Amino acid sequence: MPEVIRFILFCALLALGLGFMLSALIGVNRFGFSLNRLHAASVGDTMGLGCIVLACAVKAGLDAVTLKFLLVYAFMLLTSPMSGHLIGLLVYRTDRSISREAGIWKP
Amino acid sequence: MKNPINSLKRFIEQGSDPLGEEMLSELELNRPDADGEALAAPRRSLFSEKPRRPRLIHALYAASSVALCLALIGILLYTVSGLPSFGGADTLADSEVSAFYIENGLKDTGAGNIIAPIILSYRGFDTLGESHVLFIAAVAVMLLLRPAPSDKSALLRAYEYGDDKEEPHDDLILMAGGRVIVPLILMFGVYIILNGNISPGGGFSGGAVIGAGLIMYLSIYGYGPASRFMTLRVYRAVSACALGLYSLFKTYHFVTGFNGIESVFSAGIPGTIFSGGMLLYLNIFVGTVVALTMYALFTLFRKGDF
Repeated sequence: MPEVIRFILFCALLALGLGFMLSALIGVNRFGFSLNRLHAASVGDTMGLGCIVLACAVKAGLDAVTLKFLLVYAFMLLTSPMSGHLIGLLVYRTDRSISREAGIWKP
Repeated sequence: MKNPINSLKRFIEQGSDPLGEEMLSELELNRPDADGEALAAPRRSLFSEKPRRPRLIHALYAASSVALCLALIGILLYTVSGLPSFGGADTLADSEVSAFYIENGLKDTGAGNIIAPIILSYRGFDTLGESHVLFIAAVAVMLLLRPAPSDKSALLRAYEYGDDKEEPHDDLILMAGGRVIVPLILMFGVYIILNGNISPGGGFSGGAVIGAGLIMYLSIYGYGPASRFMTLRVYRAVSACALGLYSLFKTYHFVTGFNGIESVFSAGIPGTIFSGGMLLYLNIFVGTVVALTMYALFTLFRKGDF
């Protein structure tokens, strides 16, 4: 019985993660402005990958492999905001349509 | 200047400049057909006139290089046509060579990772050439991209016209992240190299990881801190030493192996770090060369110098 519950939990988490990934995919392709796209993509990085990693951890059980999955997620949590920050800075500095799109006043 | 918060403030203040329009006007002025001759001058100085070679020798160089390339292409194509056809009946799917490696690899070399003795011991001559090819590539890029020693203002121009104008300098968030990530990446690279003879990995992959870590360090902290420990002198000395030692070790290996002399590098107990004879040392040398060369190629293409 625990195996069945585990499998159901695994499937649910995987489906949830894939749903988040799908939303990120649609957002990246449908939004027009780069900061909006960044916002959509970060959903996939945090929630999507988090749910998928959690699903894999549930499937693998509690051992060293689980720790590796969590390490993958921690690495992603560390690097994804950095790249997002860089992209945002670059958009802020170079995109001339930012005052129209994002309502930021640039003198 | 050193305070990160101040530099962040400075960066944001700089960023609020109407940069796009500024750049556009600069481009307008520097267009060749613009009549502002004095304003177009700095742009032109980027491509300074060099003394030209005589025409005949120049044409000879061009013709001989084309001929050499065509000859190389012809040789390579001829060799490819001689390969066994893909998926053909007479193609050896698993030849006796790989069976030999699987059977005798552990016994011969004492390395748990079967790839390491294949590339470093059985086919060591090939890998020796590969490492030298990497070094030669870096040297060729250096020859092409480094400014002449007499050209002192080249680096200044590279900064002035370079593409790192738009990049953040002394960025607080990047530096905080890099403080965590860069040591981890470098440590992981060292782990891959040192464990090359017992687990998947080895000199090339570990060296690539270390090189990526060094490139990351350069990108985050800028040229200043990186050039404190990575100069041209360091690159030359360390990679030449590593390549020389590598060649020396391989020579010893070939001589002892060919003459049936007992090598001082014993196979050891498989699974420990000091097993696999000289594989550990060869991995370290290859990793050093690969890491330094990756860093050198990046920094040469990026700013033309160390």
